[in-house]
Amino acid sequence: MIDKSAEFSLPPGLVPPQSGLLQPVDWIVGWARANSLWPLVFGTSCCAIEMMATGASDNDWARFGLEVARASPRQADLIILAGTITEKMGSRLVTLHEQMPGPKYVIAMGACTISGGPFYYDNYSVVKGADRLIPVDVYIPGCPPRPEALLYGVMQLQKLIRAGGWRNSIVHRPVNVSPITDPMAETLKEWEVIEAKKQEEMKEAKERFKLENPDYKGVVIKRIVAPKYDEVAPTPRPERGLAQAEIFANLSERFPSLRVHALPEKSAEKVADNVAEVATETSVEKPIETVTEKITAMGREYVLDVAVEPADYLPLIRHLRDDTDLQLDYLIELTAIDWKDRYDVVVHLLSTDKGHKVFVRCALPHVEAPEIESLSSLFAGANWHEREAYDFFGIRFTGHPDLRRLFLEDDFPGHPLRKDFEYPERVVKRPY
Amino acid sequence: MNTPSSPSAPAPEHRLPPGFALHASGADGSQEYFLNMGPQHPSTHGVLKLVVRLDGETVVEVVPHLGFIHRAIEKMGESETYVQYLHLTDRMDYLSSHINNLGVCMAIEKAMGIGVPERGEYIRVMVSELQRIQSHLLWWGAFGMDLGAVTAFLYGFKEREKITALFEDLCGARLTMNYFRPGGSNADVPENFIPRVLEIVEEMKFTLDEFNALLSANPITISRTQGVGALSRERAISYGCSGPVARASGVNFDVRRHAPYSIYDRFEFDVPLGQNGDCYDRYRVRMEEMRQSVRILEQAAASFPEGPHRAKEKPVYKLPAGSYFSSVETARGMFGTYIVSDGGLKPYRIKSRSPNLSNLAPIAEMAAGGKIADLVAILSTLDIIVPDIDR
Repeated sequence: MIDKSAEFSLPPGLVPPQSGLLQPVDWIVGWARANSLWPLVFGTSCCAIEMMATGASDNDWARFGLEVARASPRQADLIILAGTITEKMGSRLVTLHEQMPGPKYVIAMGACTISGGPFYYDNYSVVKGADRLIPVDVYIPGCPPRPEALLYGVMQLQKLIRAGGWRNSIVHRPVNVSPITDPMAETLKEWEVIEAKKQEEMKEAKERFKLENPDYKGVVIKRIVAPKYDEVAPTPRPERGLAQAEIFANLSERFPSLRVHALPEKSAEKVADNVAEVATETSVEKPIETVTEKITAMGREYVLDVAVEPADYLPLIRHLRDDTDLQLDYLIELTAIDWKDRYDVVVHLLSTDKGHKVFVRCALPHVEAPEIESLSSLFAGANWHEREAYDFFGIRFTGHPDLRRLFLEDDFPGHPLRKDFEYPERVVKRPY
Repeated sequence: MNTPSSPSAPAPEHRLPPGFALHASGADGSQEYFLNMGPQHPSTHGVLKLVVRLDGETVVEVVPHLGFIHRAIEKMGESETYVQYLHLTDRMDYLSSHINNLGVCMAIEKAMGIGVPERGEYIRVMVSELQRIQSHLLWWGAFGMDLGAVTAFLYGFKEREKITALFEDLCGARLTMNYFRPGGSNADVPENFIPRVLEIVEEMKFTLDEFNALLSANPITISRTQGVGALSRERAISYGCSGPVARASGVNFDVRRHAPYSIYDRFEFDVPLGQNGDCYDRYRVRMEEMRQSVRILEQAAASFPEGPHRAKEKPVYKLPAGSYFSSVETARGMFGTYIVSDGGLKPYRIKSRSPNLSNLAPIAEMAAGGKIADLVAILSTLDIIVPDIDR
């Protein structure tokens, strides 16, 4: 029995009910359940690190009775959704939730699991809120939330569990089925109404103030002056290894059709105004002497960017790799650019020994299934880079040992990084 | 999973899961089967799925499946301005978020001819090195836990929190920093920055000795890692590995040395190299890297200058048409930023070269022939961050 006369008293939720037959049982079951939560080890991205930090020495979630993180959903009763849920992961998350024995609870940690967070707009792969897949009990905002916030969220869940007792613990709760909308546009509409009302009230208030204080002259508003910083000249950072003109001389001997991709403009004033202009930009086609001079004039900071015909693509890369002077043995990356009228396959190479780089690009026609030879016979690392380019741009690499999508589901409609990609069912366009 | 209905019947070729190259061995007594590891698995460090083909306990073939945390960052980048793209790089390799930010800032600076004042460069180097230590501390803790030593996890996080607290005072965030800007950084460092860095440096020297005593010479660590998951120098280069993974295989490649950015050419530090490329070498290289970061921090703290922390801020960052590439050394290797600009406010195409994608690629070669427990040790010493692979 609690002594009512004592100065110290427990908060209402922690006091066992004094009447009835089942109420004390409810209370005991709720209390036991709330203080022995078994979270599932489920972290997809950044929030997982904060979840780990919550479990580690400084914050120590064992204080709240949930230190036994289980790797199997069959031994767990709480999922802390730490990190973004993507469409590909979605079906797995539903399975995990179904595999947990009831009563089960879900905490949505971080902005991504609440609504998609920073990945809401222009995104074809992120689920806009984990509560569209499984019912969520507690939402913790933040990107990522601090460990203290997660602990607070857990305490809120414990409060819910204590209030729920044992009888209503296994309830089929609905998931969020509201249509995916553009919250920014909706908020702006609401703001307009509020703003109009505010303006009206302000007008009235101003008139009233003028009547009440006819002598008022107004105040001079002092603004905080932002500190001013000077412009700083950039430090030159010369490229290491062979000079770019030397590399080009080596290459143009063997590959006469090789051209240098439009040398970048050094002045910032000459800014192209629209995409179309750039898309039709042609490579420099001049006698070699002039091109070499031009390359030399670019200085040591410039990295050679050569455009090659598809027929010469594989021989050129092989030469770059095997030539004893060049030794470009390291594939930094392979990617593509959609120029709307053509695709550029871009290959970045580096010499681990000498330090120079060469960028190679090869234009492909803008068709549904453009084809180019695979580099996987030259670089083991090209395998995944080419699968990524196939996934994003739909470029077919002939001779690739295992050309499948790298990231997206096999039945994903289209290739997302193409400029004409559209997927209105999932993608909400950014309104600004 | 595509397991054959009768366990004794060898899997026909067309029933092999996607990505597997080897035919069913068909040898008498072979007990091959497929095992799904992930996407929800404690030792895959995120949502990575590995389909493992096993003969008893021996790994025959591993096929990684990616994309469970593919967040379309590159597509989103095409509809955000250059500075808005910075916050997305925080969320790729969130344990190197400062350094990722730096990579994007450097590409913008290169395109627009923006310089960074002296103090700004010092802040960049010091924060990058603190971030490297912080990331390696977390790796050390997770490595211990993967091998079954929960103590290491608690020790690693205890030290990491000190640097996290410093970052919080610096930029208000513990993980996703968004601190660097083209031309310097978002804000100046707090007044007590240098004393606190020196305090961390002094503690780190002691801590690293303690960590070495705890785990480095531990017989279990050695027997679980030495000679396990070896990657030769040639294969490491061919796969495009970078960072500690490549250096453990003897590839002398560190962007801070190879193409010095910021003011790394002013500081003395060694690039630790391994010889065998096994898990133990990768462990040792990372432990030594923390010492080298401490060395750089000491030198930088001794000559930390006064002055402005950033150059004049541009109202709008509009890159001249063309393509720009920058590379930085994160805690995991070479992070490249490739920007293709059409002269507009937003990038026409922006690509981030993730070090983890290339570092994970050789796992099939490294794990084949070993035990399944070795696969966990290999994954742990590769120190992958899955959202950085998937982007």
